[in-house]
Amino acid sequence: MTRVNTADLAFGLFLMSVAAVALYLIADLPMGSTSRMGPGYVPRALAVMIALIGAFIAGRALVTTGEAFPEIAWRPILLVGAAVGLFGLLLPRLGLAATAFIVVLVAGSASKDMRWRELLLIAALLSTFAVLLFVKALGLPMPIWPVV
Amino acid sequence: MDLIANLATGFGVALTPANLAFCFLGVLIGTLVGVLPGIAPITTIAILLPFTFTLPPASAMIMLSGIFYGAQYGGSTTAILVNLPGESSSIVTCLDGHQMAKQGRAGPALAIAAIASFFAGTIATIIIAVASVPLSALALKFTAAEYFSLMVLGLTGSIALAHGSAVKAVAMVLLGLLLGLVGIDVNTGLPRMTLGIGELGDGIGFVAIAIGLFGISELMIALSRPQDRTLLSVALSQLWPSRKELKDCLPAMLRGTAIGSVLGVLPGGGAALSSFASYAVEKKTSATPERFGRGAIEGVAGPEAANNAGAQTSFIPLLTLGIPGNAIMALMVGALMIQGIQPGPQVMTAQPQLFWGVIASMWLGNLMLVILNLPLVGLWVSLLRVPYRILFPAIALFCCIGTYSISNSQMDIGLMLLFALVGVFFVKVGAEPAPFILGFILGPLMEENFRRAMNLSRGDPMVFVERPISAALLVLTALLLVVLILPAVRAKREEVFQE
Repeated sequence: MTRVNTADLAFGLFLMSVAAVALYLIADLPMGSTSRMGPGYVPRALAVMIALIGAFIAGRALVTTGEAFPEIAWRPILLVGAAVGLFGLLLPRLGLAATAFIVVLVAGSASKDMRWRELLLIAALLSTFAVLLFVKALGLPMPIWPVV
Repeated sequence: MDLIANLATGFGVALTPANLAFCFLGVLIGTLVGVLPGIAPITTIAILLPFTFTLPPASAMIMLSGIFYGAQYGGSTTAILVNLPGESSSIVTCLDGHQMAKQGRAGPALAIAAIASFFAGTIATIIIAVASVPLSALALKFTAAEYFSLMVLGLTGSIALAHGSAVKAVAMVLLGLLLGLVGIDVNTGLPRMTLGIGELGDGIGFVAIAIGLFGISELMIALSRPQDRTLLSVALSQLWPSRKELKDCLPAMLRGTAIGSVLGVLPGGGAALSSFASYAVEKKTSATPERFGRGAIEGVAGPEAANNAGAQTSFIPLLTLGIPGNAIMALMVGALMIQGIQPGPQVMTAQPQLFWGVIASMWLGNLMLVILNLPLVGLWVSLLRVPYRILFPAIALFCCIGTYSISNSQMDIGLMLLFALVGVFFVKVGAEPAPFILGFILGPLMEENFRRAMNLSRGDPMVFVERPISAALLVLTALLLVVLILPAVRAKREEVFQE
């Protein structure tokens, strides 16, 4: 237990910062009147409501005790995240065959009971399968091989 | 009879070889993800959305809806045999279904689950067919004010039925609404919150958000939990329940179907809630409530009927009003819009083939599911032996390919990654993403109707209470809010969502 409810505090602060960013981004948009609303009217109203709720949740969190912020398992987040990022970066250059292989290897190593040999095999199979299904059968416009 | 003619149209569409094949593919995939814990139908639908681009609209909808109700069948198999809910809607099936399996009655448990689901599916199909004509007719009278009020009701419903804190659910809805407004304002052509990025002019990619929040983020969370599952090795020698068991189950199935059909239509409702409610009712009305939790067959039949009925009737608001009642239906809206169809009451008259074809396919799909699930149950069980470490890299890869293929955009992959991380944050702070996605879909629609209503009333907000239908919808919303705030209901609600 902690003296403040950390999870709620984090969520409240998150809401307030999203609202602040939104208000900053729409600062120049005209409000209009209630009968002819400008593009800024509704987003501004929403952002203000979000800020208020965020403040409420954060404020309430400060006066209530709660569990410590839940443990975050970084390994899967980082590795799966990296796999996704690599897909976006590599696909246009390396083509689907190589990219799929790499993505499966990186994502697959996120599991604790991963076995290298098995993973290499899965990566090869999935890469072949993805090329056959998505490019050959479904005709998605993606390069298969590296683009020079 | 119009109904017969309409259903004939529907079966004409659903029975074409291509659509039968898509229906089969949908329920097959649905059963598959239903059986496998850790892949939800919502994730699957999100991943498959981009690939429905090239299909005719009816085929796309037939397949995607098959995934949803197919998952209700598959989920019960895992619940009964492994004591793990394959889906959130089969949590209560674990209670008595797994006990039955332990007592060597896995066969009857599986059979009654499939029979109850089919029974409910058939009735729910009829309900959809009968209810949708008058509802669409009513909806055609809707003006901007009614639409706005209806969406307010829908979002309030999703808050009421969200797990965890209601205040957080409100915040999630508002957040979704705000992010839904990113892009070019349709009335003035001015870009809003686009950070000057041209690609954001059309708004944040819906598929990228949905797959990020429900697909990738789910992987990141699931991998932090231990993955072992113990499979009950059961002999499925005797599959059929006895005549007495069937007789005992019939009232439970009827009640379950009724509960599911009603709760499914409610905004925010759907399969999971229906099964909980049905289990509670069965236990309460039973002459021998002490049998529940120890292998009472009614405890399987009722909830299984309810979750399937609820899954299907949750299509009613989408098909007739164009308003999604839950997150999966929000994805269906996305699927329709990809096809260039604006969901709404006009779909029934403008696209009768699509409308009635989807409804007819639901009954056919249910029939296929009984066949898929009963004789082939052994096949699905062996699938459970596939370890998660083999499954999840494939899911990650398909998520990436699906998102990228929408517009061959690296930007969409980036957004998906961003929302995956945000999704993990949401789960950690106990904020459910379903109300968010509903808000995101409804954001632009709601703003549009709000602005139009206020414009027509010359800025007078009384328009929302002066028009009778709109007023009635807002009264319902207010009642829902009052009920939500009542301390007794609050305690009860938290109890129900304890699972």
